[in-house]
Amino acid sequence: MIDATLQAIRSFEYWPEIGEGTVDTLIMTALSLMFTVLIGLPIGVALFLTSWSQRSERPLVARIQGWTYNTLSLLVNVLRSLPFLILLILLIPATRWLVGTSLGVAGSIPPLVIAAAPFFARLVENLLREVDHGVFEACRALGATTRQTVLWALLPETLTGLLAAITVTAIALIGYSAMSGVIGGGGLGDLAVRYGYQRFNTPVMVTTVAILVVLVQTVQVLGDRLVARLSHRR
Amino acid sequence: MIEIRGVGKTYHTPTGPFQALRAVDLEVAKGEIFGIIGRSGAGKSTLLRMINLLERPTTGRVLVEGTDVTDLDGEPLRRLRQRVGIIFQHFNLLNSKTVQENVRLPLRVAGDLGRPDQDRRVAEMLDLVGIARHAQKYPPQLSGGERQRVGIARALANGPHILLCDEATSALDPETTQSILQLLLQINQRLALTIVLITHGMDVIRTVGDRVAILDHGSIVEAGNVVEVFLNPRTSVTRALLAESGIESDAAVTTDAGDGSQVLRLTYHGPLTEQPLLTIVSRESGLDFAILQASVGRLKNVPYGRLTIKTSPLDQDALQRLLQGLDSRGIRHEVLR
Repeated sequence: MIDATLQAIRSFEYWPEIGEGTVDTLIMTALSLMFTVLIGLPIGVALFLTSWSQRSERPLVARIQGWTYNTLSLLVNVLRSLPFLILLILLIPATRWLVGTSLGVAGSIPPLVIAAAPFFARLVENLLREVDHGVFEACRALGATTRQTVLWALLPETLTGLLAAITVTAIALIGYSAMSGVIGGGGLGDLAVRYGYQRFNTPVMVTTVAILVVLVQTVQVLGDRLVARLSHRR
Repeated sequence: MIEIRGVGKTYHTPTGPFQALRAVDLEVAKGEIFGIIGRSGAGKSTLLRMINLLERPTTGRVLVEGTDVTDLDGEPLRRLRQRVGIIFQHFNLLNSKTVQENVRLPLRVAGDLGRPDQDRRVAEMLDLVGIARHAQKYPPQLSGGERQRVGIARALANGPHILLCDEATSALDPETTQSILQLLLQINQRLALTIVLITHGMDVIRTVGDRVAILDHGSIVEAGNVVEVFLNPRTSVTRALLAESGIESDAAVTTDAGDGSQVLRLTYHGPLTEQPLLTIVSRESGLDFAILQASVGRLKNVPYGRLTIKTSPLDQDALQRLLQGLDSRGIRHEVLR
């Protein structure tokens, strides 16, 4: 019985493709996560610095802040309200222009980043809102610039929250990257669509799903561990 | 050192304008510990924050070390804040940084010192406030008193001439409060630091204050030397605050006994407290006294006494003689009944 199962697994002819798909998924997730954080973090900080609680006492500055906040917020909301699949299709020309193709791993990254960065930015904004007001007051009282306050106080104070937010975003990206398989995006999602959906190949479908579950689980556990280690000192 | 001239502050709230401060005048001299006391909502916190412009006055001027700082902005404002230390009720430390890094923060912000000099300065500060052994710990691992010491070290790191204390001991238990107050006294003397503190507890002012201002509904109702204000309060607000801390109370004054006795309150301070006043006065006047209430102690380093006494029955002449006798010794008196 066991031998038969092992034999079946060994003789499963799609392993090379599944292996490749897994690697592609990992690369897509990792690269898009990196760009998501690079773009989403500053946007999140900008959203926070222009939000109500941070408005300047000078009317002109406050007005500029309000204008910036509304614009950024609208942009973030629009991008977040588009279903990912629609965004993928809408972005095809832009993706081609940016990376030369709308297919494969490279073609998946721009839409992934554009979908995930606004999401991550909101997470960052909310995290910063949770920072104790006293921390700002202390920084202002020390004569710190906004830059110093953000880099030396705010971000360190939210570090564990940021790691948790990155974990959540990474998992969302794994899910999105699978979806990009629908328009030829490569990776496990691509396999699932081509074999599982178009050719009714259930074993490939089940295997890709199992691998996705393992990936998500691994990312979550690693993220949690890291958060736990860094908050250990509290 | 600090001059506050006609300062007012109006907040615009959804329910209309709210006047937190109105035409406040205040002068704090170099090297003194100046207390501002009042109930919550009296505007103390707003007033204190005017000194480093965490709050900007709606009207009036603020002068720090002879310079009008009211309209400072940008870099000059940041420089001013680096020269004025402040500690907070809830410490406001960075929980993600070690004690050492918390104290280093103002030095990094100022950017005047290289890393080795920063290290030296941080060590010096931690030593000063007595928490050198906790340098590598994180604030959540420390007690409230220790955290406030970190706060003090951070506030003093850039060598300010002024330290502002925003209810600095209100979140601490009585014993820790005393140790923090002693530390403030010590740094006040050692560094010739001018300290402005706000509190709702008379005991804080009593222990460390040189001068005091009483704030009520955004106005200063009384100000002066602590001894003067505490032993001779002129307003009901001050009296009420003093009653809460047990310095002053009229609870002992019962209704007229109808036997011709008098109830007096005697107040004195300084060297007088070392003399057997009651027995001397009693012998001279031939009267006997019952002590209904007494409070003796110290206001910072000035000993004082405040007695409510009931005399044996006496006529007007005897009363006048008694009062003259008290006057001649410099004992302040009030006839309560």
